[in-house]
Amino acid sequence: MADITVFTARRVRTMEASMPTAEAVAVRDGRIVEVGTLENMAPWLDGYDHEIDDTFSDHVIMPGFIDPHLHPSMAAVLLPMEFTTVVEWDLPWSDIGAVGGRVELLDRLIELDAKLEPEAPLFAWGHHPIWHGEVDRETLNGISATRPVIVWHRGYHSMIVNDACYRWMDIDLEAARRHPQIDVDRGAFFETGLGVAYRHMNSFLLGTERFRAGLDRMRQVIHHGGQTTIGDAAMGMYGFEDEWEHLKAVMERPDTPFRIQLMPFDMGPVGDEESDEAMIERILAYPQRNTHRLRFSDHVKMFADGGFFAELLMLKSPGHLDGRHGEWMTPPERFERVARAFWNAGLRIHVHCTGDLGVEMVLSTLEKLQSERPRFNHRFTFEHFGISSAQQVARMAEVGALASVNAYYVYELSRAFADHTLGYERASQMSRLGSLERAGIRFAVHSDFTMAPAKPLNNAWVAANRLNESGEVMCANERASLDAAIKAITSNAAYVLGLEDEIGSLRWGKQADFTILEADPYDVGAEGLRDIPIWGTVFEGEKFPI
Amino acid sequence: MISSVEPIPVTVLGGYLGAGKTTLVNRLLSGDHGRRLAVLVNDFGEVNIDVDLITSHEGETISLQNGCVCCSIADALGESLDRVLALDPAPDQVVIEASGVADPAKVAAYGYGWPGCRLDAVIVLADAETIQAKAKDQFVGELVTRQLRGADLVLVTKSDLVSPEVLDSVLDWVRSIAAVPVLPVSRGEVDPEVVLAMSRSDLDVGSARVATRGTSPLTDAEAMFETATLALPGPLTRARLEATMSLWSQDVVRVKGIVWVAEADGGNAQPHVVQRVGLRWSIEPATTNIDQETEGGRLVVVVLRGTLDAAALIKDLVDAE
Repeated sequence: MADITVFTARRVRTMEASMPTAEAVAVRDGRIVEVGTLENMAPWLDGYDHEIDDTFSDHVIMPGFIDPHLHPSMAAVLLPMEFTTVVEWDLPWSDIGAVGGRVELLDRLIELDAKLEPEAPLFAWGHHPIWHGEVDRETLNGISATRPVIVWHRGYHSMIVNDACYRWMDIDLEAARRHPQIDVDRGAFFETGLGVAYRHMNSFLLGTERFRAGLDRMRQVIHHGGQTTIGDAAMGMYGFEDEWEHLKAVMERPDTPFRIQLMPFDMGPVGDEESDEAMIERILAYPQRNTHRLRFSDHVKMFADGGFFAELLMLKSPGHLDGRHGEWMTPPERFERVARAFWNAGLRIHVHCTGDLGVEMVLSTLEKLQSERPRFNHRFTFEHFGISSAQQVARMAEVGALASVNAYYVYELSRAFADHTLGYERASQMSRLGSLERAGIRFAVHSDFTMAPAKPLNNAWVAANRLNESGEVMCANERASLDAAIKAITSNAAYVLGLEDEIGSLRWGKQADFTILEADPYDVGAEGLRDIPIWGTVFEGEKFPI
Repeated sequence: MISSVEPIPVTVLGGYLGAGKTTLVNRLLSGDHGRRLAVLVNDFGEVNIDVDLITSHEGETISLQNGCVCCSIADALGESLDRVLALDPAPDQVVIEASGVADPAKVAAYGYGWPGCRLDAVIVLADAETIQAKAKDQFVGELVTRQLRGADLVLVTKSDLVSPEVLDSVLDWVRSIAAVPVLPVSRGEVDPEVVLAMSRSDLDVGSARVATRGTSPLTDAEAMFETATLALPGPLTRARLEATMSLWSQDVVRVKGIVWVAEADGGNAQPHVVQRVGLRWSIEPATTNIDQETEGGRLVVVVLRGTLDAAALIKDLVDAE
């Protein structure tokens, strides 16, 4: 085995301003020794045993893609299920077409029923009444009289089941009938009623074998998206030590072509059992358990307001279109106290933040912290960044905030939220990337998988085009430039994770993580980003074709 | 004999951070109220239990000498609820301390919907010193107001920390938002009988105990309420009971008791458990065997002292029949 491997390519796209393109990357022990031309590499190549690998002579080498915010554990619960959403999913084990309406949903369920083992429950995730209309128990009895059929809401709000599922759950229907958020006749469980359903289903959904099979699917999803680094933006949602064991068993393997940055999180309103000091001590100790691929660092996660898909964002005036209310996931007083403790301990804070009142609360806290104890290079990051104003963006720039944005909201939700949740003006300006770019704020785009497909090129495509599922361009002025959209899945995503010295661009000393494309995104342009075929990845110098 | 289907009353304690929920929880856990309470709290951090009273602490559950347990919700209310409902013996009542940013009306869905439970009351606490400012806060004002609107009973806490004039204006302000009983509370001293439902152990030993209950060691609190107990001379029709109780004002803080209720005039009367908190009330068939020591049963009525004549209220009920 040679000391140095030189990967040559049709083009190397470095994402380094000093040398944006090159012809070859020389790699030793999983790290880059030099990027440039074979000619210029002569001092290295003359001095060391080397081999030229021209596998990519017809391809473009990009820095390995980075998805800084997703949830492997949520994915592990969901990926063993069948997907029936209004948008298409291209998953490694199958291409799943969009399920556009009620008839299509029922057809899909009939098809799935015919395909599955006789006794296996059919979990179908992705129902949304805006597109699929109402589905009830009788509808699902029509799909199967013997197989449990469960239709789960796109935003995890509600669940519709059939009679066979009632038998499978062994649920007391008379007791369920008294529950205000269970409609036994319709087979519907929603909000707190879901808790009743979960207690009959969790041993199945969270069973070790199924959960690990789900995580293994997650492994494939990440590889197919071209990511070589991902961030788990809330490690421990289903129990910290259990998740840690599952992650080690499934992810820490030589054939896993990516690493995971793990972010512990503040428990929000239920965390007062532990003092802030004890929590910080616990968080600071996590890196001691790091393995090769699973790594904690000094980044922590906090939560401000509720979920975007769940429409629980906290909004400034005029609020929700239908008068409903959002939710604080962390009381503002606790948020400020814990954020101050984290800030003063030198931790880097990421905040889940979806509505403009959520942004306001977080931003005013950050402003306070900056005036109490100024910090540079703090990487305070607004995560998701659903609804905000241009004026808030200007203030974010003043205090050095970053953003990690779910651009995909625009694709799937902008039309539905314009009609049902926010009205057009605000909905069209969700995930405002153009303003961030104009303000000079570095931003990443993420999938928050399974909220969006874990496909960085697709999310960059949404960021740069703002086309929604109905084919409309939503607020062209909030598009990211092509360059910013690509940085958002490479160099700036690395910056958001605090890993800019390790990954995110191609230069000497960095990890030899590449995403291998059939075309250069800068040649293809914004419109074609999502259609660029991915050959596979190189992780720490080793090739992993898809 | 207690039937296994007797639903367990659930009380939800709501209110924003600092409203005094934990103080009340501490009082309920250590109080001499004779009930086995299961109190579900967001965390043990602030619960202050005398270690001498703790008989065991296993994982999420602390058991106390007086038969009460305190259980941490973590983030799974349903699981915690299942855990305490499965206790043997079963608790007399479950108290859920809602998170400071929760909408207690939503949490209440667990009370009336969870298998084996019935909602007794949503009790929302408000800090006399800060509630009005909180209600104007840009981040939580709407939430704080919504919490009050979801209450069956509001306790205005720390009322000893403001002047009588300020307290009056706070009480009026709360009443303008929530048309339910609004009670001032000092130093967390609220009569547990106001907060707690009639217990299954009350039913178990017969209605006589209902009449002897209602005294509290808390003299300040006692002075705030007036309690009247009456043995009803004969059965009431459901229509009469409902019609009369619906006329009682919001100064009637709590009504509880066993009443022999007939569905129609001259019909066969059966013992029913009657519970009312604020404007929420229920008349449910008693599934426990009751020793019939009176013809009609007994009702206990708690009113704010000086606002109403409790004895007269019951007299109205009987005369009307």
